[in-house]
Amino acid sequence: MNWPAGLEQALPEWALTTLTSLVQIGVVCLVLILSVAFLTYFERKVIGFMQNRMGPNRVGPRGLLQPFADVIKLLMKEVIVPSSANRFLFVIAPVLSIAPALAAWAVMPLFPGFVIADIDAALLYVLALTSMGVYGVILAGWASNSKYALLGAMRSAAQIIAYEIAMGFALVGVLMAGGSLNLGAIVEAQAGGPLSWFWLPLFPLFIVYFVSGVAETNRAPFDVAEGESEIVAGFHVEYSGVAFAVFFLAEYANMILIAALTAVLFLGGWTSPFAGSMFSFLDGSVLEFLRASGLHWLALKTAFFLFCFLWFRATFPRYRYDQIMRLGWKVFIPVTIVWIFVEGVMVVLGVGPWSS
Amino acid sequence: MMNELVSDLSAVRAEAFLAAGICVLLLFDLFIRDRHRDLTYALAMLLLAGTGWLAATAGGDGRVLAFGGSVVVDPLARVLKVAAALAMAVVFLYSRPWLRERQLFRGEYYVLGLFALLGILVIISGHSFLVIYLGLEMLSLALYALVVYDRDSPIGAESGMKYFVLGAIASGTLLYGMSIVYGFSGTLNLGELREYAAGLDGVPVFLLVGLGFMLSGIAFKFGAVPFHMWVPDVYQGAPTSVSLLIATAPKLASIALVIRLVAEALPELLVTWQVILMTLAVLSLLIGNIVAIAQTNIKRMLAYSAIAHVGFILLGVATGTTAGVEAAVFYSIVYVVAAAGAFGIIMLLSSRGAEADQLDDFRGLSQRSPWFALMMLLLMASMIGIPPLAGFYAKWIVLLALVEAGAVWLALFAVLMSVVGAFYYLRVIRLMYFDELPGGAPVQAPGDFRLVLSINALLALALGLFPGPLMDLCTGLLG
Amino acid sequence: MLNNYLPVLLFLMVAVGIGLILLGIGFLVGRGQKDPEKLSAYECGFEAFEDSRMKFDVRYYLVAILFIVFDLEIAFLFPWAISLDEIGLYGLGAMAIFLLVLVVGFIYEWKKGALEWD
Repeated sequence: MNWPAGLEQALPEWALTTLTSLVQIGVVCLVLILSVAFLTYFERKVIGFMQNRMGPNRVGPRGLLQPFADVIKLLMKEVIVPSSANRFLFVIAPVLSIAPALAAWAVMPLFPGFVIADIDAALLYVLALTSMGVYGVILAGWASNSKYALLGAMRSAAQIIAYEIAMGFALVGVLMAGGSLNLGAIVEAQAGGPLSWFWLPLFPLFIVYFVSGVAETNRAPFDVAEGESEIVAGFHVEYSGVAFAVFFLAEYANMILIAALTAVLFLGGWTSPFAGSMFSFLDGSVLEFLRASGLHWLALKTAFFLFCFLWFRATFPRYRYDQIMRLGWKVFIPVTIVWIFVEGVMVVLGVGPWSS
Repeated sequence: MMNELVSDLSAVRAEAFLAAGICVLLLFDLFIRDRHRDLTYALAMLLLAGTGWLAATAGGDGRVLAFGGSVVVDPLARVLKVAAALAMAVVFLYSRPWLRERQLFRGEYYVLGLFALLGILVIISGHSFLVIYLGLEMLSLALYALVVYDRDSPIGAESGMKYFVLGAIASGTLLYGMSIVYGFSGTLNLGELREYAAGLDGVPVFLLVGLGFMLSGIAFKFGAVPFHMWVPDVYQGAPTSVSLLIATAPKLASIALVIRLVAEALPELLVTWQVILMTLAVLSLLIGNIVAIAQTNIKRMLAYSAIAHVGFILLGVATGTTAGVEAAVFYSIVYVVAAAGAFGIIMLLSSRGAEADQLDDFRGLSQRSPWFALMMLLLMASMIGIPPLAGFYAKWIVLLALVEAGAVWLALFAVLMSVVGAFYYLRVIRLMYFDELPGGAPVQAPGDFRLVLSINALLALALGLFPGPLMDLCTGLLG
Repeated sequence: MLNNYLPVLLFLMVAVGIGLILLGIGFLVGRGQKDPEKLSAYECGFEAFEDSRMKFDVRYYLVAILFIVFDLEIAFLFPWAISLDEIGLYGLGAMAIFLLVLVVGFIYEWKKGALEWD
């Protein structure tokens, strides 16, 4: 980023780097929070239409201001800390929930050549941060000192960690194909159109990863942890007002994160779907701009996966808990282990589409 | 690289075979019905036979280093490994009727027992801190699980918990000592450590501290005073078939542990560790023999007797001479034979539902079963060290090594303690021959059990009468 | 090199900060009357029966143990997957043995019913 010359001379280099990063982080966080706000709106609209309803349409034109009304309402609500709760953990739990969901974006390659923190251990960092989320859940459930909260937390935690294993294996598969832990390098390894993206050679891992992501965020149809009809709302039953809003924010931020990660890992991130040689006829025509990489492609792919999240919610009935655990342990883990082994053999023999 | 790999693997073929075999056994046991459980036992015995044979032939006649010097196969390894495999086979054989009567006859017993054996083999061949630690943990974890093998037994759970907590502390202590030594010497390899110690000028403090921690850890695992607290509780609380297992093969790993880490790696520091080992040995002899007198539970009594025997074994190693170390190895093998037999007799007497773990259960055994009373007599006499039994010869060569090393007073003390120890062994004999148990039924056991138990007890006599062959095996161990 | 990690640290701090600030606003703005009933734990309108730090199903514990085993496995697979090109067949064989041992354990727990929820 270019700072005014005066500033550049006055400040040491590290301060400039810090300032640059802070500005970038600020922009990303702001966009994320706005996306969360509109994702809630989007969700209600989409599900509304799927169920032949209108969805929110009162606040602002076509209900577009609805998220802001919700935010203001939640902010004004009283925050209740139950008398029997462990106050410190009760307050810290939502923070532990939201922080990883946002901080994982530090290593997300947003458009060609740009990522806030270009580190080589990016995928490891993502794995570490997505694993952190379960702490918020378990602490919230335990600190509330309420039976519903504890039961919900145990259920969710068991579910999250069960699917995390499958996700981890899927990540191993991606990094074997990409040959790097750096997300930018993984995107570049997928350059060259939809047929070069990893979703094709790693199809089982792609499906496993995305479905695990849905389970990992406790979204329908894997939302037994919240099971309104059984345990009220699961681990955050005791949270009200803004504390609840933070959990809500975390859940949606996690959805966006999973969607974006799926796009980056399996659908080529910011690369264009028209980039391959089979679309070379577009060169020179008015549609040539379609072949350029950019943030818009990442955003579109992310939006597609987010739509899938909502689509699932409107389509599938809720899984039973034992079915969820069975899917995670008895289907996904064996599938991923087998696929990783197959992939390992292919990499060593040099027959994979990625070894050239 | 490929040739190297092949020769490395050939050095550890017994371990590799056993590890692969355990996996097969585990899966095999999963897919058979309960009434076919004998097949698991048969397969386990086959694995033991294969392991013993491979261990006996690994590395030819000499001393082979593999995997960059972190694994050693030498005569000591061969002798101890074969002895351990044999001991484990005897344990499995004795345990079968006992487990079956108590609805504990499941595949896990054999899998865990074999894992313990794998740990023992790895320790015996370990020539690097990491390998030794790996083996030790494999052994310990299997043993923890075995102690609580009878899940519904409160006393088993209690002793398992004690064993686990104390064992974890011991592992931590050992690891801490190893890391201190590694941190200053810069090597994990025992051969390199030896060279490093040879080049030292005087004994640096760090090495003393590290050695102290390591020896404490080893003493814990070995069950030497003052780190013996777990031994009686575990022997008493564990199912008898597991006490039998703990009392036998792991002792061979412990002796290997002491020899590898101390006598072989740090001969230059003899003066330093000699004092520590001798202190441990003297305390073990004293506490073990005296406290054993007060016991009424025979498993507990054998636990204290084990502590006392460990004292003797440590005395042998503490001499630092080749003769002393060889005597210690001989002593441990003889001890394992006697302990296996003694626990075998206890299991023989334990009929359906009732345990024979009280001393009083041995009353009038000479009328119930004259033959096995005689066998018990032989075993007890061997433990006391009465000529011409094996125990006498074992004690004799250890004492001889002590006198040669100039520790006459220690030798006298050891003799004195043996005399004290004779008291409680003789009490068992008195109960068997001079007391009556009204209404005692004749002893019943399967034929193979009786046969092997008799051979086991007679071995204690044979090794005393003809110690030559075993002694030959035990000479030139350190090659 | 380390320079690249500075933004990560900053982002973590900002993320925690956002959470704390939001909560702070909530505590400042959202005020209300507190009374003992409102502050008691929610249990369908009943008085809470007993302390909710109760015993729970041991299977959750089992799942946690299994998770540790498999998560460690993933942690081992990461560096292996990256360097697979260089370590070649030897590396593949080593990892195959490692995976095989884990798969044996996995089959064992499966058959023993550790993965059943009913």
